[in-house]
Amino acid sequence: MLPLRISASSGVPVYLQLEQQIKQAIASGLLHAGNALPSTRRTAAELRINPNTVARAFQNLEREGVIRTVPGGGTFVASEAALASGLLKAEKLRRLRPLAQQLAVEAAQLRLSAEDTHKLLDAALEDLTRKSRADKRSPEEPQ
Amino acid sequence: MTNFAIRTENLAKIYGHGRKAIRAVDGLALNVPEGSIYGLLGRNSSGKTTTIRMAMGLARPTSGSIEVLGLNPWPDPSRVEMLRQVAFVPEDKANIGLTVRKVLALNRSFYPDTWSDALARKVVDRLELPLDTSFIKLSLGNKTKSALASAIAQRSRLLILDEPTTGLDPVALDALLRLLVEDCTADGRTIFLSTHQLAEIEQIADHIGIMDRGKLLIEGPLDDIRASFRRVTVTGANLPARGPQILSARRDAHATQYILRASPEAFTTELTRNGATIVDSEPLSLSEIFLALCRREEGTQEEAA
Repeated sequence: MLPLRISASSGVPVYLQLEQQIKQAIASGLLHAGNALPSTRRTAAELRINPNTVARAFQNLEREGVIRTVPGGGTFVASEAALASGLLKAEKLRRLRPLAQQLAVEAAQLRLSAEDTHKLLDAALEDLTRKSRADKRSPEEPQ
Repeated sequence: MTNFAIRTENLAKIYGHGRKAIRAVDGLALNVPEGSIYGLLGRNSSGKTTTIRMAMGLARPTSGSIEVLGLNPWPDPSRVEMLRQVAFVPEDKANIGLTVRKVLALNRSFYPDTWSDALARKVVDRLELPLDTSFIKLSLGNKTKSALASAIAQRSRLLILDEPTTGLDPVALDALLRLLVEDCTADGRTIFLSTHQLAEIEQIADHIGIMDRGKLLIEGPLDDIRASFRRVTVTGANLPARGPQILSARRDAHATQYILRASPEAFTTELTRNGATIVDSEPLSLSEIFLALCRREEGTQEEAA
């Protein structure tokens, strides 16, 4: 089972939380191309959330090319090629811009220099690459 | 076109006459889409139970109209046709001297076409409901569970739950949420529930309506409602105190905190253009939206008084 966690009180729409967490699971190497995802209803029951909400998250992810649905056969993480080409670079940047803006505002409020903020982001990126490599080295855990 | 499981137009229920008249429900326009999990939220005596009683044909509307699965719930025979397709857990459970097992058997006999013994067993197991205790001797929570078992096993097109969390402990509540999602939402079936337990409902509902003093303050898809509300902290000169988007504005020495009720992006863009600085902008939880709306109603009344 995926380590999905929904926070009802965060104010962030539940479908967005779900989309983000599935993307994170792929980005961090927890989910690989071709891995099966649990069904809409099962995911909804596990998380105690509305099935329509799960369906909406899955639809959005499919439209972005992150996952694909085989009629009658379930839902899978898209192939590497589809993951790479599914989101055009401009679209990816557009999605991340609000987060970058938020980071800039927070940094300015804390009187952090631009240089320090850049370093912080670089360190976070390095962390992610290292984690992803470590995951690939360790033997596959049964799903 | 969307079909509606429940739809009301200008619905009103007035108890008493003249100066002492109580407008329990006052011009209600409710739209519960088929296939949704709809949470009707409100404080005590906001009109939720009266609305549900009218939907179940237990109270006659003073004026306006109500349709349940396209049927008028007041006169027979359309009421009977409606009751065949609706399962109902009332807030006040009748006290009967039968064991839970016999209560289930009795309900089963009313719904021979749709009743599922397997589902009844599943609810009894999951909610840990004692089968051989007389209903009258059950705790409040177990009475709720017994009513839920009957209603869920009925497998109706529409499930109406009036305060279904009454007396349930956190484990039972969690089990109930799972049962509702797993077994009561397939094939376009609708769940309509009233509650003031916001956190649980926020998880499973996709539509909500907030009632206060017999009126609907807001209604719609939960995600849309969440997206239109925002708490924004701003610094700058000549900030507006009122406006169509502003639900409340609180000013202190350093900054002004707004609660916005519509198009927050347009509002902040406009302020930034006028030289203000947006210090913080965050979404509100359903409970915060509820408080902001219901407190505002109080504020308005004080001003009027």
